[in-house]
Amino acid sequence: MKKLAVCLLLIFEMCAARGADFTIPVESYKLANGLRVILSKDNAVPVVSVYMIYDVGSRAEEKGHTGFAHLFEHMMFEGSKNVAKGMHFATVESNGGTMNGSTHPDFTDYFEILPSNKLATALWLESDRMRSLAINEENLKNQKEAVKQERRLSFDNQPYATAIVDVWPTLMYRNWQSSHSLIGSFEDLNSSSVEDVSKFFKTYYAPNNAALVLVGDFQIPDAKKLVETYFGDIPSQPQPKRPDLSEPADFQARTDHYKDPLARVPGLVLGYPGPKRRSPDYYALNMIDAILTGGDSARFRLDLVKGKKSVIQYEANLGWPFASALDYRDPEPYAIFILYNPMFTASQMIDQVQDEIAKLQNEPIDSKELERVKTTMRAARIKDLQSSISRARALAQYALADGMPELINTELDAMLAVTPAQIQAAAKNYLTPERRAVLEITPAPPGGSGGPQKEDQ
Amino acid sequence: MMRRCLLVLAIAVLQLAAQTVDRTKPPQTPPIPSYKLPPVFETKLPNGLGIVLVEDARFPLVTVRLNFRAGTKFDPPDRPGLAEAVATLLNEGTKTRTSRQISEETDAMGGSLNAGTGPDSLTISGSAVSESLSRLLTLLADVTLNATFPQEEVELYKQNLVQKLRAARAQPDFLAAERLSQAIYGSGPYAHIAPTVESAGKLDPKVLAGFRDTYLVPNNATLLVMGKLPARADLIKTVTQLFGSWPQRQLPPAPDMTVPAPRRQIVLVDRPGSVQADIHVGRAAPTRLSSEYFPLMVGNSVLGNGANSRMFRVIREKEGFAYDAHSEYSTKRDAADLAAVTEVRNEVIEPALRAVFTELENMADAPVPADELANTKNFLSGIYLLRLETQDGLANQLNTIQTLGLPNNYLETYTTRVRSVEPDQIQAVAKKYIAPDQDAVIIVGDASKIGDAVKKFGEVTVVKAE
Repeated sequence: MKKLAVCLLLIFEMCAARGADFTIPVESYKLANGLRVILSKDNAVPVVSVYMIYDVGSRAEEKGHTGFAHLFEHMMFEGSKNVAKGMHFATVESNGGTMNGSTHPDFTDYFEILPSNKLATALWLESDRMRSLAINEENLKNQKEAVKQERRLSFDNQPYATAIVDVWPTLMYRNWQSSHSLIGSFEDLNSSSVEDVSKFFKTYYAPNNAALVLVGDFQIPDAKKLVETYFGDIPSQPQPKRPDLSEPADFQARTDHYKDPLARVPGLVLGYPGPKRRSPDYYALNMIDAILTGGDSARFRLDLVKGKKSVIQYEANLGWPFASALDYRDPEPYAIFILYNPMFTASQMIDQVQDEIAKLQNEPIDSKELERVKTTMRAARIKDLQSSISRARALAQYALADGMPELINTELDAMLAVTPAQIQAAAKNYLTPERRAVLEITPAPPGGSGGPQKEDQ
Repeated sequence: MMRRCLLVLAIAVLQLAAQTVDRTKPPQTPPIPSYKLPPVFETKLPNGLGIVLVEDARFPLVTVRLNFRAGTKFDPPDRPGLAEAVATLLNEGTKTRTSRQISEETDAMGGSLNAGTGPDSLTISGSAVSESLSRLLTLLADVTLNATFPQEEVELYKQNLVQKLRAARAQPDFLAAERLSQAIYGSGPYAHIAPTVESAGKLDPKVLAGFRDTYLVPNNATLLVMGKLPARADLIKTVTQLFGSWPQRQLPPAPDMTVPAPRRQIVLVDRPGSVQADIHVGRAAPTRLSSEYFPLMVGNSVLGNGANSRMFRVIREKEGFAYDAHSEYSTKRDAADLAAVTEVRNEVIEPALRAVFTELENMADAPVPADELANTKNFLSGIYLLRLETQDGLANQLNTIQTLGLPNNYLETYTTRVRSVEPDQIQAVAKKYIAPDQDAVIIVGDASKIGDAVKKFGEVTVVKAE
């Protein structure tokens, strides 16, 4: 197998002058049933991450079934033919590991991190539920309740969260596939049947709609043999169609208000429809995000938190709030969320943010600042890739979204190659008030119920 | 090249003979691999500054931690939040650098530099790409020794702190943690978990500098440097140049850390409109240096640590009362507390609270079965390994050793000590510290919806959320 590694290196070799200064080994192949497999060996610490990603997320849901992809993710922990109910958690933890799953707009992931002698155990668990998930009324009823509890805990009882999950997508998107709530309504959750779960499982949870990533302490031939043993004979299914996510070409600027009885400090979300993944503008907007909000010397901190003393907290990224630059898949916005001092009005804050963007449009960034932002980006990337699970996440995204897991070693160079002119052009083309959605979140008296108050521009 | 690759791949796939396995049982696996921690080198400068060096060349990164025994327990009683304010404002200006310069220098080395507080310690944490280590240490020394706490930065900090406190007081978990600390620690130094609007108002540069001059002294500190390091002699020379002339100073007497005797009390924090009731049931417990620590830590893990623990299995999976159900054993240097936590929908507050009590009682009433205990021990031993994957992970472990005053071999002997815990030891400490008869019960929720149900458990003190 040596030959293969060399071969891959040659193909994906790129200038690494200011790159990450270390190379992550990547070996990828496909099983006969279509399962993509990516192996990355690292024997430094006796730990292995097993990361299974399915190419389906909340954007594949059907009308009347909001929250279904997430409900299904819960079902994946309820047992399978050879793994009794409750045994998934028990097996991972009693073998010294942790695990979880999460649902996103475009994908759903499951992982186990274990001492490396337990690689086979994780593969046994993942393959058994891909092969033979236990879908029955009792498990479904139980998990409907768990999901409702999760909604109460993480959204209904938290400031800002309901506005962001239920209202914000309706501002950013016209297409229902993207604009509906990812966590879903109680009504839709209640209406899901065992048949719905079975159909979803058969359609989307097939080996040919998934990728399996192993990162950590193993030997490649052993890992390959184990993967083939556990997954090789799971039958493939017809390749599911990706949902039609197209948006109308001309984005209409819009503003909504949300009265939030749990919020004490006013908040503001601003978003702009973004470019195609891995297009030059995508990298430019990623750099703009780093300039505005990346490090301690980011412009939002120096100009708005310190200078104008208006912003209290901020977060932003390509794909905010449910995606990141890494798992960004069109259509996604560049979006910014701020909490601000109530001495300022929402419209003052919108102007302040837009003024920061205007600076990017009107003058090229000076080379010293750009160099600093790039250094920050490079270091953040190295830090990010330290743990086996974050390497697995990156490999999985590059495999699924781009078909090239090897990008893990070269994508940083593309991210750093952005020029001042590209930054200016992207700011002008994408971050304008005419292509902007705004959600104002205003504190309301405690005890009331929250809600949007439409005020179309 | 691509075509040749595909050919190699095709052959490779053919060579993989699919073995038949028995899928009905978890696979047989080899024993857990042994792992030796990277060697830790320790020394002290003549002024008392402890130095800990750990070579970790896996990544081109360096991590530093400067740990002071100067946490929130040293806040004067009328100034909660002082240590935290000192920590936050250290990098907002020095004699020779403005706040802006500090942030620009930090970013230019691909790093971070900020400080935070826990109950016991104030830690300045930094990181950078490895070639910038000496610049990082220079900046660290400057903010440590020469912070000026500029008036304008202090005023902005106060202004934003008041807003953040308002936001925190809207969060049920903050309200519960605040009340539970007060219930367990009375009016002692561990009782407060945050500043107040009043104490924020009293902050000024002089008070901040006073705290810094008192507690941020070399004989009260340990510097940890980890990563791809230069030759040891060179590194020690750099550290000596930067920190060697920093004068020692006598520390004030330690505050009185006496913890009041635990007693049953039920406090309902009224949060109108709450769609859930947050339940926290807890009491004081022994510290990590106690011989009871490992039995209680393992027992707590059986009770509520992870998805295989009793609270998760019963309260979430079996009863469906909550999404989260866990217990936490939080050890500080001079005291500790153990609490069971869950957030349940309003309608089930009564059976859910009963279920929490039952799980706590069960720990005291019967020994943990052998297989359940073995599973928990495996869990703890594995998680220990998982924490060592990143530089931050190992740095945090070593920093905790400093913060809590643990023996140097704590990490090396951790797994052995976990494995040696016996069921009768767990039951003995569970009777003392997990059985709920003297627990404080804190519930945050809408009193108009859950008040009557809570009253069935005893006398209830209702307090306002804000």
